[in-house]
Amino acid sequence: MKIGVFICHCGENIGRTVDCPRVAKACEWLPGVEVSIDYKYMCSDPGQNMIKKEIIDKKLDAIVVGSCSPHMHEKTFRKAAVAAGINPFLVEITNLREHCSWVHDDIEAATEKAIEMVRMSVEKVKRDQPLTTIEVPVTKRTLVIGGGIAGIQAALDVANAGYEVVLVEKEPSIGGHMSQLSETFPTLDCSQCILTPRMVEVYQHPKIKLMTFSEVEKVDGFIGNFTVTIRNKARHIDEDKCTGCGLCITKCPIRKKAYNSFEENLAHRPAVYVPFPQAVPNIPVIDETVCTHYKNGKCGICVTVCGREAINFDQQDKLVTEEVGAIIMATGYKLYNIDKKPDDSIYKGYGEYGYGKYKDVVDGLQFERIASASGPTEGEFKRPSDGKEPKKIVFIQCVGSRDESKGFSYCSKICCMYTAKHAMLYKHKVHDGEAYVFYMDIRSGGKMYDEFVRRAIEEDGVKYIRGRVSKITEEDGKYIVKGEDTLAGMPITIEADMVVLATAMIAQPDASTLAQTVGIPYDKHGFFNEAHPKLRPIESTTGGVFLAGACQSPKDIPESVAMASAAAAKAMVLFGSDKLEREPVVAKVSADLCAGCFLCKKVCPYGAVEVREVKTRDGVVIKEIAYVNEGLCQGCGTCTASCPSKSVELAGFNNEEIFAQIAAL
Amino acid sequence: MDDLRKYAAELLEKGEVAAVIGYQQVSEKRTKPIIAKTAEDCAKLVFNEYCLNNLAVYLTKARVKELRRVNGAVLKLAITAKPCDVHGIVALIQESQLKREDVTIISFNCAGVVKDFGMDFNGETLATKCVPCDTHKPLYSDMVFGEEKETPKVSDEVLAKIESIEKMSAAERFEYFKAEFDKCIKCYACRAACPLCYCQRCITDKTIPRWVESSAHSRGNFSWNVVRAFHLSGRCIGCGECERACPMDIPLSLLNRKMVIEAKEAYSYISGRSLETPTLVGSFDVKDSDELFM
Amino acid sequence: MSEEKWEPKIVAFVCNWCTYTGADLAGTSRLKYPTNVKLIRVMCSGGIDPVFILKAFERGADGILVSGCHPNDCHYNAGNFHARRRWEFFDELLKFLGIEEGRLQFSWVSASEGKKFVDVVTKVTNDVKAMGQFKAYKDLNDEFTAKFPEPVLNEKEIIMSEEDAK
Repeated sequence: MKIGVFICHCGENIGRTVDCPRVAKACEWLPGVEVSIDYKYMCSDPGQNMIKKEIIDKKLDAIVVGSCSPHMHEKTFRKAAVAAGINPFLVEITNLREHCSWVHDDIEAATEKAIEMVRMSVEKVKRDQPLTTIEVPVTKRTLVIGGGIAGIQAALDVANAGYEVVLVEKEPSIGGHMSQLSETFPTLDCSQCILTPRMVEVYQHPKIKLMTFSEVEKVDGFIGNFTVTIRNKARHIDEDKCTGCGLCITKCPIRKKAYNSFEENLAHRPAVYVPFPQAVPNIPVIDETVCTHYKNGKCGICVTVCGREAINFDQQDKLVTEEVGAIIMATGYKLYNIDKKPDDSIYKGYGEYGYGKYKDVVDGLQFERIASASGPTEGEFKRPSDGKEPKKIVFIQCVGSRDESKGFSYCSKICCMYTAKHAMLYKHKVHDGEAYVFYMDIRSGGKMYDEFVRRAIEEDGVKYIRGRVSKITEEDGKYIVKGEDTLAGMPITIEADMVVLATAMIAQPDASTLAQTVGIPYDKHGFFNEAHPKLRPIESTTGGVFLAGACQSPKDIPESVAMASAAAAKAMVLFGSDKLEREPVVAKVSADLCAGCFLCKKVCPYGAVEVREVKTRDGVVIKEIAYVNEGLCQGCGTCTASCPSKSVELAGFNNEEIFAQIAAL
Repeated sequence: MDDLRKYAAELLEKGEVAAVIGYQQVSEKRTKPIIAKTAEDCAKLVFNEYCLNNLAVYLTKARVKELRRVNGAVLKLAITAKPCDVHGIVALIQESQLKREDVTIISFNCAGVVKDFGMDFNGETLATKCVPCDTHKPLYSDMVFGEEKETPKVSDEVLAKIESIEKMSAAERFEYFKAEFDKCIKCYACRAACPLCYCQRCITDKTIPRWVESSAHSRGNFSWNVVRAFHLSGRCIGCGECERACPMDIPLSLLNRKMVIEAKEAYSYISGRSLETPTLVGSFDVKDSDELFM
Repeated sequence: MSEEKWEPKIVAFVCNWCTYTGADLAGTSRLKYPTNVKLIRVMCSGGIDPVFILKAFERGADGILVSGCHPNDCHYNAGNFHARRRWEFFDELLKFLGIEEGRLQFSWVSASEGKKFVDVVTKVTNDVKAMGQFKAYKDLNDEFTAKFPEPVLNEKEIIMSEEDAK
């Protein structure tokens, strides 16, 4: 076997601390090495041409390139090798830059290390097997999980490009948190007015299959070929028959037993309900937990009034299977519910400021409902306890955000802006009212954002106090807010009629479960992880799964929408070709040697290991052995390390190759 | 004893099983395994405190599996198994080597067996594996014979030895085991006797690449014994057959027992006790200890 | 080799997606660490066989690091969870057999933890330096060399000729 070694100086980057000519010289003497040369820029055209020429002239079988990280230029050098007629998997990259020259100062030691590193690669490349890339077909359909603004945008973009979309939303209606907002910053245009046309467009789009009140239960497969099982929860209303007339809702006698979660529990809803009047689809849901029928089999008024016989108390959950090629995660966020402390939760619970104890201490979304023209107070500012108009409101920012001891280390990003908006909306309606904002810093980066905050302060007279609130107590219907004005350097006490807490934006509580179902990593807060914080912010590390909106980290509407469109574009990139090429780094079982203990099957994260029967000629099963479905295998090699008899090998990283590297230490 | 013989003969007669794997008496204080295929063979079957072998090892042997094919049909195998041997059968079922419906388990209430053939059964000669044993009745069986008897109480020498080794310094421990492993002649009797060493080709026989150096020298011996103990970690049922088979008297039980303790302490898992729980090796809990990792 | 000139030989088995990339980040950030450590890249920490450790000790490694993605962060979802159980057993076994603590160390280093990679590698190097040459295994190796002269070449030749035979 003839091996070529090519040592790159990377300008000065490697050359400064690694004596490249010496490395090349030393490697000439390694067994099997036919040629060993160094060059200023191996990745440049002349550099690549040199590699190609050497391969052809010296009839090389394999090459080792000592350069930057394989994550950087492995593809480049593989391409060059292919052009010169050798298999791309007979190319080994020695990471002389990131793992040697950049991290060491001592030229002597770094050069020695470089030689040893190249030697290890030479030993590996000797044992590398030529491999061929695997082609897999692509199903040109997309699953979008979450029907908030991000999910809606992503679904519309993909569908408008002509590809089918399955949009799954766990609530009875799409719209998400944006449908709850009164006005949006920094333009103060009405949230529902801009959102509802999009919702209707989704509903009417011929390419979009909308599945509300549904949850993703299982995801099998891999990029381009996912099989998704979706649980369509029973509404107890026949979706095909219901016309959305709403008669059942108006006639339902159970009016006060359930809180309206759309109104953030500031109002009640009947047992049969749609979350809000503009819901899409406009089909009600019967709440089994409060409906009289499920208690004693009586009532049934809805059945009587429904002219379409759409009520079906016996309706069961349905499991639907969908084949898709890409998945867009758009599950959004939740507000940090600071009064509760569930035992098994990662959230510690804030336990301050009387939230949950004092009725007039509300969170941001509750205030949105109070401010909303369609909300429980029809847009009049009335405080929840007695319905009186509050004359003095205190807004507290960073409740749970930027506070590791009581909440989360991160900044929730949108609170500075929405607090300014809240104060502004209040001042616009209650002219003699006073608004105070306690803040840590004002973070208002964004187009027209800082101007918006300035407007709240300068034009609308909102009083900003830099400092934290230590305690809130109640006295005769007033809330005594004690805090500190750190700029003035003195304590401050405000007697407020109402307090609004800008609580942290957190991941959906079941985000981690969903991440495990879909097979993507998430951070300690439950936000989904992007593949690269800078260069691949839209992709998850799992191929074919993309991220949109606040499920990745706190975001405002334009950012969520932008990310959703980007995710849609990523899905469409995938659909640009009929077949996907993937690296042939997959496991293979040796049928002769497999003892069929199926430990590999137990440890495989992708369910790629199947059971195959070995039969005699007369059809009697002699033994069962493992077989790796190379379409499903992602090449982690956990099976290879688990196999007690070493009957399964990972192509490209087989044990012989690794042993050779160890032997060359 | 007659019950057992009658039952076994009936199983064969009814055509339910192809053979009964059992023990036969060879002298007053010694038994050996027998694969009974006729009523005559069944008349030889015994069960007593000299039934040392763990017969579960035969269930995965190709020649024994071959016996199941009788006139084109595939019959079950019956096996006489001490309650501890049943653990081995359970482990084999969990590791897909066997199906529960393929084996008829004939078990016994057991009060322990002797250390070695030729000894009288009394407190002092109780086999080391029986000392910590807590299953005197089988956990899974199709038929149980024998009276419940009191197990003699004996001090746990293996545990004491483990504790004394743990008190040594690392260098002392290394020297101790090196000296023990140096005795190894790589005969692989430990592997042959182990019911859970059923691989068709052992890792040590794999030559490309060579996983374990196979000649008998300190380094290869050390590797082999580490690999053997590791492959049984979380799986070993503690039958002690490896140690009994070892011609060089290497204290293999020390290692196995140590890992059994580790599995129990770290993961509350004892191998071969339940067909319902997933095997320790091959499953994980996100809440597993993370202490080892920086 | 005299005691003062002795430099420990350390090998790190790292996963491609987290620790290897974390080491790349250490490079791009120009952080510095000792030259003793050499990396062997595998796809996932779940794919690192304990026998690799023995082989590395047999090849004269004085210290070994095994590193992968943090739990819940595995590129392959669960490979590192299986690895965690495997290493828990293996580490306990080696300790019992008298392999000094610190010869074999474990870490989770993510792709964004270049600094942590440097800290971990530096710690392992310093620990191993403090412990000195891996006497116990060196004796085994020396004994082997005495019994089978030129063992490395021999074995390589065996592998090569077997390869040729294929």
